[in-house]
Amino acid sequence: MNGNTVLDIQGLSGGYSLNRPVLHDVSFQVNPGEMVGLIGLNGAGKSTTMKHILGLMTPQKGEIRVRGKKRDEDSETYHGSLAFVPESPLLYDDMTVREHLEFTARAYNVPRGDYEERADRLSRIFRMQDKMDSLSTQLSKGMRQKVMIMCAFVARPSLYIIDEPFLGLDPLGIRSLLDFMVELKEGGSSILLSSHILSTIENYCDRFVVLHQGSIIAQGTLEAIEAQAGTTGAGLEDMFYTLVQGRD
Amino acid sequence: MDLMKLRAERRSRFWGKEVLPYLGYVLQSGVAALMLFALIVFSAWYTSLVQHIPAGLPIRWIMLVLFVPLTVNSSFRTYLAPADTVFLLPQESRMKSYFQGSWTSGVVYKLLGLALIFLISWPIYVRSDGQPKPFWLFLLVLIALKLLASYGCWKELRMVSRRAAFAYRVLRYVVLALCVAAWIWQPAGRSLIFIVLLAATYTAALRLPAKHPVAWERLIAQEKVHSGRVLMVLGWFVNVPGREQRVYARKWLSWAGNNIPWKPEAAYRYLLMKSFVRSDILGIVLRVGILAAFLAWWQRGSNVGIGIYWFFVFLAGIQLSSLLRFHSESFWLHVYPIAPGSRRRNAIKLAFQIQLTFAAVTWLPLLGAGLERMGTVLMALLGGIVLCLLSRFFASRKKTEDDEDDE
Repeated sequence: MNGNTVLDIQGLSGGYSLNRPVLHDVSFQVNPGEMVGLIGLNGAGKSTTMKHILGLMTPQKGEIRVRGKKRDEDSETYHGSLAFVPESPLLYDDMTVREHLEFTARAYNVPRGDYEERADRLSRIFRMQDKMDSLSTQLSKGMRQKVMIMCAFVARPSLYIIDEPFLGLDPLGIRSLLDFMVELKEGGSSILLSSHILSTIENYCDRFVVLHQGSIIAQGTLEAIEAQAGTTGAGLEDMFYTLVQGRD
Repeated sequence: MDLMKLRAERRSRFWGKEVLPYLGYVLQSGVAALMLFALIVFSAWYTSLVQHIPAGLPIRWIMLVLFVPLTVNSSFRTYLAPADTVFLLPQESRMKSYFQGSWTSGVVYKLLGLALIFLISWPIYVRSDGQPKPFWLFLLVLIALKLLASYGCWKELRMVSRRAAFAYRVLRYVVLALCVAAWIWQPAGRSLIFIVLLAATYTAALRLPAKHPVAWERLIAQEKVHSGRVLMVLGWFVNVPGREQRVYARKWLSWAGNNIPWKPEAAYRYLLMKSFVRSDILGIVLRVGILAAFLAWWQRGSNVGIGIYWFFVFLAGIQLSSLLRFHSESFWLHVYPIAPGSRRRNAIKLAFQIQLTFAAVTWLPLLGAGLERMGTVLMALLGGIVLCLLSRFFASRKKTEDDEDDE
């Protein structure tokens, strides 16, 4: 393990029942300034992996460290080091967009001045200026997803866990998100991103982890994945297809 | 598909599986016993009031204040669920049979409640009013007005335009208030003519706005509100799983909570304050506060006023205890770096601060008793503060399932 590793998962097995683990001996790392794509079919274990990282599920075997800390060692530091964007927006019906951002900033101990600056910038990037004082119930699904993304980005932790962020976003929203993720990555933040839109993430992620039926079947850079898939000159989608084909 | 049967099944599932299991705990809880005690005290006070009615009691105003809300308020339980927009939509033309039960139960139970309150208020009315209306005629007029309000409310739910629905809601309040006032103040014959004419005009006006055959989304949202309220009331006595509450925008209160200290330990209090100012609880606390202030001012010269004041401070404490159950299933409270135990500590602190403010504000009318009762009035305030402290003490001692998640 690299001493600077932001996320380190070693030998993770876990699931909803002891007898039937969903994940089998999963190990991978995410380093500073790195964007890692977590890809797999429906039910491959991507969301279960993320739930384990978030501390919503307890590993049956193995361990997860975020910036060298396990969740049970220091829960506040652990959670303060990561932010999550879920697949479906989870917002409080009784709060406005601005209040969601402010609540997040308060919880993550972001100084008030930084919060105001970031909130202002994010609202411009995601074209939400005129919705900042709207209740979340008055927003469209895409806008709700934007609020989730803005909340994660206002916190500025070391690690972002992002699950299917493009669902419901308009093309401009997708572009803004990708640009902002690149900016964060260049600033030293780490991103673990799950998506089925392989053609999009292919050009943005530094490495990929391919999950299939709860196990890692390939991981590494695009070139490494290509070598493991045994393809030449193919895109990520074709590599992925080759890797999972015939494994059921 | 038997739609009447479907509604009946949903109804029995809600009351049988979601409410009934908690009723035993409600009866066992000390709060329920205390409410019973309060009922007995009220009965004794009311009996004494009926026997010694103060001169110049504004009985007509009291009857107006009592019966306008009771006749106007209408609601319907439909037990509709979000998925019905997909699965029941093909049955839209047959939904009348589904809603038949909603209409019947929405009207019958409220009529029984109305009749009960009327029976209770009758002795004081008949003894105080110089020219009381006949008992049966009064009751029949109230029943007719209640039916009119329910009909109006049902039509409002179907209106396409939200603005029209709101305008008709205001109209319903105005029409019913005028009818009740006319009945109380005017001679029976004249007021009956007025009521019939006004009711006919109102009914004709209800035909004008465009209406949905079934206002699915509005009915589903209303159902969520009603079921949430039932569980909220249960939540005063026992811990029930959280349900979504109705949200009121209340832009004029958007500043509330902004001055809460900017630190992670107080982040949850910020969230809770925002939720509180947009919740049903605030509305209830405000209404209870106004009633408490009015009654305390009315009885400011006697110890009954102090008893009323303490009772309402206690009642506010029960209502504010709902804050402890807010966001009990919130995903983000597990993911955000919020200190263990912070949720419960903040909820108790906020509930205490609000109850203390309530105790201070509703105490002010007692000052109207003058300097000669200043000692007693100050003791009343002290008692109010003690009640707030007791609420905080019991809230911090009460173990809930949330604690396990929290700590």
